[in-house]
Amino acid sequence: MKFQFEVKPSLCTGCRTCELACAFSHTRDKKPGRSRIYPIAYAPDKFVPVACLQCDDAACVKSCMFGALKRNETTGAIDLDRERCVKCMACVAACPFGCALVDEGHDNEIVKCDLCGGDPACAHFCPTKALVYKKIG
Amino acid sequence: MVNITINGKVVRATEGEMLLDVIRREGINIPTLCQHDALEPAGNCRLCMVEITRTEWDGWKKYVTSCLYPVEEGLIVSTHTSELHEIRKTILDLLLANSPHSDVLQKMAEEYGLHKTSYEPNLEGDNCIMCYACTRICEVLGKSAISPVMRGHEKVIAPPFGEEPPDCIGCLACAHICPTNVITWTDENLTRTIWKKKFELIACEKCGKATISRDFAEYLIEKRGLPKEYFNTCDDCKRVELAQKMGALVDKAKEVAL
Amino acid sequence: MRIDSIDKLAAWRDECRKRLDSQKKKVLVCLGPGCLAGGSDKILEEFHEILSKKKITDVTLEAVKKTGCHGFCAQGPLVIIEPEGIFYTKVKKAHVKEIIETTLEKGELVEKLLYKERNGDGTDHAIVDYHDIPFYKYQKRISLRNVGQIDPDRITDYIAAGGYSALAKTLSSMTPQEVIDQITKSGLRGRGGGGFPTGRKWATCAKIESDIRYVLCNGDEGDPGAFMDRCIMEGDPHSILEGMIICAYAVGSREGYIYVREEYPLAVINLQNAIDSAREHGFLGENIMGTDLCYDIKIARGGGAFVCGESSALMKSVAGEVGEPRAKYVRSVVKGLHDKPTVLNNVETFATIPVIINEGADWFASIGTEKSTGTKAFSLAGKVKNTGLVEVPMGVTLRKIIFDIGGGALKDRKFKAVQTGGPSGGCLPEDKLDLPVDFDTLTKAGSMMGSGGMIVMDDRTCMVAVARYFLGVLVKESCGKCVPCREGLYQLHKLCTKITKGKATEDDLNLMENLSRVISVASLCGLGQSGPNPFVSTLRYFRDEYMAHIRDKKCPAGVCRELITFNINDQCTGCLACIAACPVEAITGEKKKLHVINQDLCTKCGSCYEVCNFDAVDIK
Ligand SMILES: Cc1cc2nc3c(=O)[nH]c(=O)nc-3n(C[C@H](O)[C@H](O)[C@H](O)COP(=O)(O)O)c2cc1C
Ligand code: SF4
Ligand code: SF4
Ligand code: FES
Ligand code: FES
Repeated sequence: MKFQFEVKPSLCTGCRTCELACAFSHTRDKKPGRSRIYPIAYAPDKFVPVACLQCDDAACVKSCMFGALKRNETTGAIDLDRERCVKCMACVAACPFGCALVDEGHDNEIVKCDLCGGDPACAHFCPTKALVYKKIG
Repeated sequence: MVNITINGKVVRATEGEMLLDVIRREGINIPTLCQHDALEPAGNCRLCMVEITRTEWDGWKKYVTSCLYPVEEGLIVSTHTSELHEIRKTILDLLLANSPHSDVLQKMAEEYGLHKTSYEPNLEGDNCIMCYACTRICEVLGKSAISPVMRGHEKVIAPPFGEEPPDCIGCLACAHICPTNVITWTDENLTRTIWKKKFELIACEKCGKATISRDFAEYLIEKRGLPKEYFNTCDDCKRVELAQKMGALVDKAKEVAL
Repeated sequence: MRIDSIDKLAAWRDECRKRLDSQKKKVLVCLGPGCLAGGSDKILEEFHEILSKKKITDVTLEAVKKTGCHGFCAQGPLVIIEPEGIFYTKVKKAHVKEIIETTLEKGELVEKLLYKERNGDGTDHAIVDYHDIPFYKYQKRISLRNVGQIDPDRITDYIAAGGYSALAKTLSSMTPQEVIDQITKSGLRGRGGGGFPTGRKWATCAKIESDIRYVLCNGDEGDPGAFMDRCIMEGDPHSILEGMIICAYAVGSREGYIYVREEYPLAVINLQNAIDSAREHGFLGENIMGTDLCYDIKIARGGGAFVCGESSALMKSVAGEVGEPRAKYVRSVVKGLHDKPTVLNNVETFATIPVIINEGADWFASIGTEKSTGTKAFSLAGKVKNTGLVEVPMGVTLRKIIFDIGGGALKDRKFKAVQTGGPSGGCLPEDKLDLPVDFDTLTKAGSMMGSGGMIVMDDRTCMVAVARYFLGVLVKESCGKCVPCREGLYQLHKLCTKITKGKATEDDLNLMENLSRVISVASLCGLGQSGPNPFVSTLRYFRDEYMAHIRDKKCPAGVCRELITFNINDQCTGCLACIAACPVEAITGEKKKLHVINQDLCTKCGSCYEVCNFDAVDIK
């Protein structure tokens, strides 16, 4: 079974609920994590939610010299193994979409979208259904 | 799959995986200082020692470092005997004697009831505990720019001849992996300095923000076949670029529909 | 001559023997490390110099030759005249002419150069033939069989002495399994210190599926004071090669290395010569002795550290990496050099192999004790009269080695302890002297066999200072990779120093005992695991001496400077000698009047004690 995000920019109001949902669903040590998704204005009052595309031939995976980024076969997401990551920032620099991020609130750890383990909080909470997580194929 | 016993509980594990991994999976906490998932186990700190035996050993037992002991059927493991407590406490005590100022070690030692070292503290000691994490990670990177030099208590981690390491690419992996934060670096005005060597940081061509050094980027480009352009802009600007591209597509689709 | 079939060897041996037998008299000049230091190379030159001008019947130039260490280093430089075995001691270049004129020409003895054995009543008697000297009489030489007897550079000498006959026997009449069975049956245990059964090691290696297997020889010999392996490498290199080739046949190896310690340049030269000539004569390389066996040996130079002798560190060093022990729970017989199955044996172990093959496993097993068969070489050093290289059957007592062979403590002082097993070995006191010397007994007594260093100590030795000295060696030699060894031995040494300064408390001693236990169980390699031994074994047998330092702030042996005072007693004749000797002018007194030491000025250098001829200086 394969899932995919369906993004409908026309429905996105830039309310940033997804951002909040993401941050809180990645809470650790009583601190919300850095959001892995951002609704970004591409024109006045026009928004598009930007998050990791879980690319097939991902630049982040290639850039990691320490094997910390691997495809999760169940969720299809590229997961970052915190125990392997040495915060060298290669993936942050290499991702062509800027979707590997530094979480300043958590000791500058590197974070990226993990599809919440298969049930993305952002899509759950998006009030306008601009973000839908759908079964494909 | 094999069956082993940890602290009296039968646990299933994959033959050949390291004992420490199984112990941790069971939620049992063992202190370690030289273990890191990105590295091959090295056995330097000896904190992860556990006691093992087997029924056929007739009561004979031995102490092994769990980080590099491959699991085998029938192993009977104890992780928290009084002798193990003594071993870990002594090791921390020794480390603290050499690095009395390390907050990481102080905190670990506290957990063993040690508020200060039993030995004469080395007030000039740096906080390096010789775990080799830095040199090992640099080796994984494929550079081996630094290495342990000298022997015994004199041993230090250093670049060749103590000079600027020619193979260093300024990735900071060594500094970040160091459990006791010994390796220092600075980033100032697009210049990174580590191991006394200076590196140019790539400035985002849109906003000027710096992420990694040029040498590191070039190494990744060469080693991993990544396009050079990926490294020209920072993550913030690349997200905006993506939004604009997606937006343009959406607008175009709308126009076509109209 | 290239030996391209087994049969050719016997013919060649006859030829070599005939040639040696034609030399009516042979002059052997010892060029072992001790004698060489005494200038024996000059002695050999002088012989050649004089004899090249002066023709003597019965003595050809070729018959005057160098050998490796003959054993009795304390009497060196040595010159031996065969076939009588005339044993000339402390020879100088100036004596050479006299030896030639008196012994070689006239057949008479140079009395003053003969060895003198002390009689019970304090007089001496000379012994001509070295076989009759107690030092040699009680020995049994297997691994050292040719050392001191042959010229290491002449393969013909080795052949004449029966060399490569064991290899011929192996190749012509034994299967690899039969070789392994023989070695196993002989009970041979590794001579490098661990005492691991050699046959079992070979069997394991042979059994593992692999395209490549290595046979390596450990010639690192890092123990300070030990020189058995050096003497074999320098004095009889072919015996090591032969052992290795037999092993290669048994386990199926094509390639091997001899790892030689950096400080042994002559061993490297002699081994390289031996390898080259063995290859030239068909004992190494492709199709050894015309059979299918192919095996070759290279020399790897040591990394100059004691820990490089440890098997995993050695293999890393041979592979060109830093010589640090590897922390894996896989044995090197299974995954050794370049991760391939590897047999690593000590020099002496390999040198013993050909004899076992020739004489048979049962013969070897009949020597020594049940669990430690055969003989073991030791280097006898320290405060003992007869320092040198000895080889005795396992199971003889320490007393026999130290007193009957070694002649007892130097200057007839009182024996106090013997240290065996190298820097991380232990010290055994007088009441352990009747223990049989074998692997298990020594370990049980708190020391170890090690590679065979044996250091004798007399009553002027402070055991705390001894422990401190050996700990100091180990602190320097620790590779520094693991915490218990690097930091633990460092602290142990520091605390030991504190005791010698009289500043330690009983709490410190408890801390040391506890620390020692942790170092032993938690260290990564053998160095750390046995590292606390010098402390633990001296504490076990000499606790009183430790307590004297700690409680009474006294050093009973009068060694630890901070804890002793020098005083002049009424034996003083007022000779002024000590006054002249004192570097800090701490002694006052007039001629023929009792002298006095000013304690405030005295630096405890011991000069007065050394010069006093009347036992008038007391150390307390
Ligand atoms: C610290 C250390 C140093 C060692 N040094 C030597 C050495 O110098 N020579 C040697 O033959 N074995 C040495 N050994 C023992 C070797 O590891 C190995 O057991 C031996 O070479 C095997 O040969 P054997 O079975 O013939 O004794 C050393 C071991 C340790 C732990
Ligand atoms: S899928 Fe999850 S992790 Fe990814 S952006 Fe949405 S909420 Fe965040
Ligand atoms: S500098 Fe840090 S990482 Fe490197 S050996 Fe020392 S403690 Fe370990
Ligand atoms: S974690 Fe196992 S030895 Fe350090
Ligand atoms: S450094 Fe070798 S045992 Fe620790």
